[in-house]
Amino acid sequence: MTANPILPRRAVVEKILQDTPDTKRFFVTLKDGEPFNHKPLQCAMLSVPPVGEALFSITSSPTRPEYLEFAVKEVGTVTKHLHYEVQEGTEIGIRGPYGNGFPIDVIRGKDLLFIGGGIGLAPLRSLINYCFDTRKDYSKIQIIYGARTPEDLSFKEEIFENWPKEDARLNLTVDVESPGWEEFVGFVPTYLEHLAPTPEGVIAVTCGPPIMIRFVLQGLEKLGFQPEQIITTLELKMKCGVGKCGRCNIGEKYVCQDGPVFSLAELNGMIPEF
Amino acid sequence: MNLTEKMRQEAAQILESKEADLVIGWGGGEYYWQSPPLFLEDAAGAAELAFSPFIVNNLAKYLLEELESHEKAALFVKGCDTRGINRLLQDHRIQREAVLLIGVPCAGLADREKLKAAGYDAGLLQVERQGDSFILTLEGEEGAREVPAGEFLLDKCLECRYPNPLVYDRLLGEEVQKPRERDPMARVREVQKKPVDEKYAYWQEKLSRCIRCYACRNVCPACNCRECIFDQNAPRWVGKANQLSEKQNYNIIRSFHIAGRCIDCGECQRACPMDIPLMEINRKIIQDLTELYGEYEAGIDPTDVPPLGTYRAEDPAGFSER
Amino acid sequence: MKKIDKSKLEDLWGRLAAEQDLFLPVQQDSVVNFALWQEGSRVNLEAVNSLLPPKDLLFPQSEKIFSYKRREGELSFEEAPGSGPQVIFGIRPCDVRSIELLDPVFFKEPADTFYKNRREQTTLVSIGCLEPDTTCFCTAFGIQPLDAEGADVMLYDMGTAYLVSPRTEKGEKLAEEMGELLEEAAGAEEEGLQQQQEAAASAQEHGLDLDGVFEKLNDMFDHCIWEKFYRRCLACGTCTYLCPTCHCFDIQDDGSPEEGQRFRCWDSCMYEDYTHMGHGHNPRPGRRERVRNRFMHKLNYFPKDHDGVYHCVGCGRCVQKCPVNLDIMQVIEEIGKEGVGGEGHDR
Repeated sequence: MTANPILPRRAVVEKILQDTPDTKRFFVTLKDGEPFNHKPLQCAMLSVPPVGEALFSITSSPTRPEYLEFAVKEVGTVTKHLHYEVQEGTEIGIRGPYGNGFPIDVIRGKDLLFIGGGIGLAPLRSLINYCFDTRKDYSKIQIIYGARTPEDLSFKEEIFENWPKEDARLNLTVDVESPGWEEFVGFVPTYLEHLAPTPEGVIAVTCGPPIMIRFVLQGLEKLGFQPEQIITTLELKMKCGVGKCGRCNIGEKYVCQDGPVFSLAELNGMIPEF
Repeated sequence: MNLTEKMRQEAAQILESKEADLVIGWGGGEYYWQSPPLFLEDAAGAAELAFSPFIVNNLAKYLLEELESHEKAALFVKGCDTRGINRLLQDHRIQREAVLLIGVPCAGLADREKLKAAGYDAGLLQVERQGDSFILTLEGEEGAREVPAGEFLLDKCLECRYPNPLVYDRLLGEEVQKPRERDPMARVREVQKKPVDEKYAYWQEKLSRCIRCYACRNVCPACNCRECIFDQNAPRWVGKANQLSEKQNYNIIRSFHIAGRCIDCGECQRACPMDIPLMEINRKIIQDLTELYGEYEAGIDPTDVPPLGTYRAEDPAGFSER
Repeated sequence: MKKIDKSKLEDLWGRLAAEQDLFLPVQQDSVVNFALWQEGSRVNLEAVNSLLPPKDLLFPQSEKIFSYKRREGELSFEEAPGSGPQVIFGIRPCDVRSIELLDPVFFKEPADTFYKNRREQTTLVSIGCLEPDTTCFCTAFGIQPLDAEGADVMLYDMGTAYLVSPRTEKGEKLAEEMGELLEEAAGAEEEGLQQQQEAAASAQEHGLDLDGVFEKLNDMFDHCIWEKFYRRCLACGTCTYLCPTCHCFDIQDDGSPEEGQRFRCWDSCMYEDYTHMGHGHNPRPGRRERVRNRFMHKLNYFPKDHDGVYHCVGCGRCVQKCPVNLDIMQVIEEIGKEGVGGEGHDR
């Protein structure tokens, strides 16, 4: 009998960091010592019985395999349990990786524009660090990232310390004026419009709250980006992760298997139900 | 003018005069036994309305959602349905001014299962009420056959006490006289007489069939909570596993939540795809409430005081060894 | 061809049940459902369709995935054991087809091991339908009421006996188990079969034409037809739970932090909770979206991925039991009436 795809593997939460007031980062290793073999923008199902399991983006890059890393915002029962019950050393279950992951071949040699909002940076970070670790494969890299307040910015050591040292342009924004904040103030789509990057030879990758994504997509199209140049990642409720339980469908596509990464060109050909 | 024509005329007039911006009635179906709820905003659609001895759906519950997007809804209501209207009024879920009630006196509706059992299903094209008979229109040479209506009525109609609407703005046709042909509590007493273990086995067998489709809850005018506990998932009060204990849990909670509020319309049992005699549970509770707090019928008068909605010093206290 | 006299069925069931789990349509007061055969079971082979489809025998309404234990911080999982061989006896051709429609869903990589394990150990003994129910419309989907392509053994009702036709290796094996209970059928009986075949195929009166429905739906996502149908829907799960091809499930835990189990159970796309996400967003928030999704899935989404094969077998269960007569046959008919790009689009 082949392996049961919905049976979790045993794992340990090695380290937990408070990332923002409502987000924690979990550093996970597998007990079987076998690799997880994920691609940027793939997901994993984390299990905390008896509360259940939930799907999360893997925020660590496959090029940095020491930990599988997850940034978890408290929104439901599983995330609440992860926040308040799980401690460093707690054993959990994990299965995956799930999803199509990012089409790396499409971006090789291209300029990259990452546009993230809030915890939407989590999936992008996997790809951003992947690109930094294979930097010679890409041309220019630009990152536009925003959150409600400076406190709400995720991965502060990356955006304030690590990434500024990389060969990349970093543009940060917050929604409202805040003491000590000297960068841009305004929503991410507004900042995008203000920065007005040119579309030639660029692939734009965006993730954030649905409303932000909507306006970013519009903004990019206004700047002349073609639907094929715009890539985003979707989030729908999922249970099995293997394309059978039914709920994450958009038409005939199952986001857990056919997604979560879609180009705008693909999304334009799909029914608008997500 | 027959009832179908009257219904159509009434609906068209209401919509044309803008007396209401929505009419909810019953339409026709492909099969003689179908009578789907029909929603009309345009007088032209009134021709789709159809009266038949299968207009069983209580349309009251639709008001909850439809009144969110309509000023005033006109509704066709039978006697049993009006108890559902009173339920919603008493629970402050609808406003009387927001509904226009067109009463339909009802001498009892037909039971497809009984027709089927008598061999009338295949080839049956139409059933019509005529006095104390049903006229069956059959395929083929025979054409039509007259059968006594009483033999083919829904059980709940045999037990009906209110063939005429209790509340309405206008009435279609004459009020009907219809004696109650069967004591609705007879089944309750029969089951109650069983020894405890037999009674347990009886309910175990019935409730083990439950598939948790929630049709009973969704069709029930008394189940009108804005958020139902069975839909909550943090925490989840009743597990989703296909286990007898969860099924019992669901069914017991459901029936207790409508204790003293069940309007005895029988829609839950009618909607149950698994043929679970849910009214036996509901009526057992009605019977117990009557014994504890005196005679009370829910959904008769929206201004009355439901037994579990008030406290009187002389109310029996605590749980007795019953 | 061989045949088995109906008087020998009890013997046969006893023999089969000794070797594997045997499931038959059994009358349980007012309803007929597939149940484990035991001596004295009130078998009902006359009912055209069981109330619940037999999908429960391959994809149980709830099923343990694993048990877990946490001891001194160490979390361990023990996968639920597989099941043994089973025979589903008396399954109708529409339900056989429904299993063939579940196969690609559960077999698609990564394959569902529970389903696969059960399926591989299941032998389907199908009985052809001589007289359809009034709500049967399997022929609209090209199903032969008297002949289930996917059956391991096909039985033909000849009055006092069944003609027995093994179709597969599993079927041959089962026929061997039947042994001397089988006898040689007379030539006249085999000839009678041909006539039966033709009569059964034309006995259904649905008049449904599925031609072009799938293609038309490509452009009908925003069509006003859904407006017409969804409003009566009670958002109960009857149609999905009684449907032999619906296969949505939920995954839930049951237990304490120390030990318990994870199970999966049927779920329904009619329920609000089904797609409701933790942070509140729901891509299918209302009955309109959910009703549309259900019909689109059966008549468009699934066919798109499976060579145009519809995900409905015309068993008629939802037609019979929907409390508000939301009738898929009428939905199909209405779709059929619509011209592509015609009136009613993009409302």
